[in-house]
Amino acid sequence: MSLDISFIGILIGSIMASSVPLILAASGELIAERSGVLNLGVEGMMIIGAISGFALMVITDNLFIAIVGSMLSGVIISLIFGFLTQSLLTNHVATGLALTIFGIGLSAMLGKNFVGIPGKEFPILFSSLKESIPFFGPILFGHSIVLYFAFALPFLTNYFLKKTKLGLVVRAVGDSPVSASNQGINVILVRYCCILYGGAMCGLAGAYLSLIYTPQWIENMTAGRGWIALALVVFATWSPIKVLIGALIFGGITILQLHMQAIGFRIPVQFLSALPYLMTIIVLVVISRDSRKIKLNTPTSLGRIFYKEK
Amino acid sequence: MATDLRISNISKIYPGCIANDNVSLQFKSGKIYALLGENGAGKSTLVKILSGVVSPDNGEVFLNEKNLKLSSPLDAKKNKIGMVFQHFNLFETLSVFENLSIDATEDNESLRVRINEILKKYNFSIDLDVPVLNLSAGQKQKVEIIRCLLRSPKVLIMDEPTSVLTEQETEELFISLKKFCDEGILIIYITHKLKEVLSLCDEVAVMRKGKVVSVSQTQNERVETLANKMVGQKLAKIKKKINISKNKDEIFKVKHLNFYSDDPFETNLVNLNFSVKKGECLGIAGISGNGQNELFQILSGEIITPDTSIIFRNKEIAKLNPKQRREYLMAFSPEDRISQAAVPELKIYENVALNNFKSSNFFEKGLVNEKKIKEHSKKILSDFSVNTDNVELKSQFLSGGNLQKLILGRELITAPELLICYNPTWGLDVGAINYIHETLIKINDQEKSTILISTDTEELLKLSDRIAVIYKGKLSKIMPSEEVTPEKLGVLMGGGSID
Repeated sequence: MSLDISFIGILIGSIMASSVPLILAASGELIAERSGVLNLGVEGMMIIGAISGFALMVITDNLFIAIVGSMLSGVIISLIFGFLTQSLLTNHVATGLALTIFGIGLSAMLGKNFVGIPGKEFPILFSSLKESIPFFGPILFGHSIVLYFAFALPFLTNYFLKKTKLGLVVRAVGDSPVSASNQGINVILVRYCCILYGGAMCGLAGAYLSLIYTPQWIENMTAGRGWIALALVVFATWSPIKVLIGALIFGGITILQLHMQAIGFRIPVQFLSALPYLMTIIVLVVISRDSRKIKLNTPTSLGRIFYKEK
Repeated sequence: MATDLRISNISKIYPGCIANDNVSLQFKSGKIYALLGENGAGKSTLVKILSGVVSPDNGEVFLNEKNLKLSSPLDAKKNKIGMVFQHFNLFETLSVFENLSIDATEDNESLRVRINEILKKYNFSIDLDVPVLNLSAGQKQKVEIIRCLLRSPKVLIMDEPTSVLTEQETEELFISLKKFCDEGILIIYITHKLKEVLSLCDEVAVMRKGKVVSVSQTQNERVETLANKMVGQKLAKIKKKINISKNKDEIFKVKHLNFYSDDPFETNLVNLNFSVKKGECLGIAGISGNGQNELFQILSGEIITPDTSIIFRNKEIAKLNPKQRREYLMAFSPEDRISQAAVPELKIYENVALNNFKSSNFFEKGLVNEKKIKEHSKKILSDFSVNTDNVELKSQFLSGGNLQKLILGRELITAPELLICYNPTWGLDVGAINYIHETLIKINDQEKSTILISTDTEELLKLSDRIAVIYKGKLSKIMPSEEVTPEKLGVLMGGGSID
């Protein structure tokens, strides 16, 4: 294996592919958290998205239905969370944890009959350009549409939060639900929408794993990516662009350390495996240490139960 | 066009408390109306009903004889009822402009033009692009007022607007309110400050225990008559005799107190130096948010600052934590009774036990000596006339006044040499305030010292022997209180100078 220029291109392309589920799930969770909702059910929603996407693909043989269905299943399961926390005023943390445990269990049960079934090839875009341009080809081309969407998403999220009226409303609700309610904003509705959107993105992130990244169903195949996505949101101090950077670093070091293990570096494997977690946290802490900015970006009401005076 | 607002037979009952009991009132534009009452008299509930935040159990609201259905804040907005809440309804992390644009229907450019027109017309100076958390309380209030004005309101309700303002800002506010009134906006002014009613308002309705007890022209009222209507009993006047104690020993001395923080919500303190004599009350005035929180935390030992020297009874204590400082006979009463001074979910005796000394033997071999703590708590309840003798009661069920008495009792029963308190009467009613003031005066009479950090100038003038003003983390020179007037304090509190 030589470290020539086209190999590096392929490497970067695979790093991008591996960070897609993190970007999708974290961007969805970011919107929910910006509205003041702390949903720890990311892992559960992702795994439900993964199994329902795969199952629908097997049953209908239609990838479009599978992708849309995985997002819908994310919406449905996040609706449970929304109903519990927003309408029944349960504790965000406990409910989110329950959702994750529920999701993992349910997906294992639903997925029993789908183990070992081979996946279907997902169409990739611009595959001819991938081969013909050295270095940039494998980076820019030959990916699924979901990857392009994932890489646009942080910028769209940033634009949404900073430039649009609805984004302003979401931030206002996260800052002070009481004030927002007194201004006539329907806080519960806004939070429901943000939760459901987060659910859809987590569902899509799961489907990316089971339909595109490793096209098959394996029990517990999200393997903690939901938790990484959650941590990314916090360490990126609720900034979508920093979420993207964090996801790339995490994906990058995960892939690199695998190669290092393969090459046989004289570094303990355990340390290499821990490296992605360590480096992501260090880099994000360093790039977001401006305490003033943290204060301004942090949703003040995060995780707090809001109820309307009657 | 003239506006006529009528509320008819409004009732609102909360579990265990009748907030509004058959309230009927009538307001007409061209006048400023005062709604006067103690805390818990039902004023806030009434304005919440008018602004659509809560719905009444009974009764109706008419605007120009049209029956209003006020089931949400949107309804109040649609009917041109504007409201400035006591606790601002702003989004601290959003910019001023974002705060104003959130419910606007027009595009940003024309909104900006309209805001600038309002700023110009009423002489407000506010930077529209800074986050609200960087504004002073007076500026935040102006943002709230602008938000109402943008919707060209017929009715403007102000809930305790001056509680966070300096004398100057208060005057500015009054000038603006009179302008609004001349422009035909009906103004309802909620307060428990009697002088403001007399200087600003045309008509005054007094509320007590959920009922309207009187409606009258302010020109026929005086401070005393209004006070008696509000409290419902004659109040004894208390006045402190000033301790002219030039030759007394300095018991507490602070040198080079500096505090620096990155946190935009905190204030830096710059080179504070002061001392307190035996039996003296040192008052520290200022608008909240000028460094009082930080000062209190440094004096109590919650924050340790390097290079600061704090001498108490000839010992250096700057590096000691609150518990160690208490052992040296200092005592503290923080501003926030619920979250800082007491744990609301704990029972009274458990809260008492939180302030334990080696000598008090509340704990033996790691176990709680319940009997001893309960006896001690009973003594506090009776000595400080808390209106319960049940030490098993959860502290959250005490009213603000009784909780404050309990906290002061817990601190004072050990006979400390120095008590540091921060806004001890904040949000309390007149009766409880009187009791607390008497207690604080008694401490000084017993040759013990107090530091009173307060945002209430009247309280400071009544209790302090010397007064200094804290503004943006800097302390003014310390003045004997007989040389201080409310006007002087106001100038200093607003950042002016008086020399």
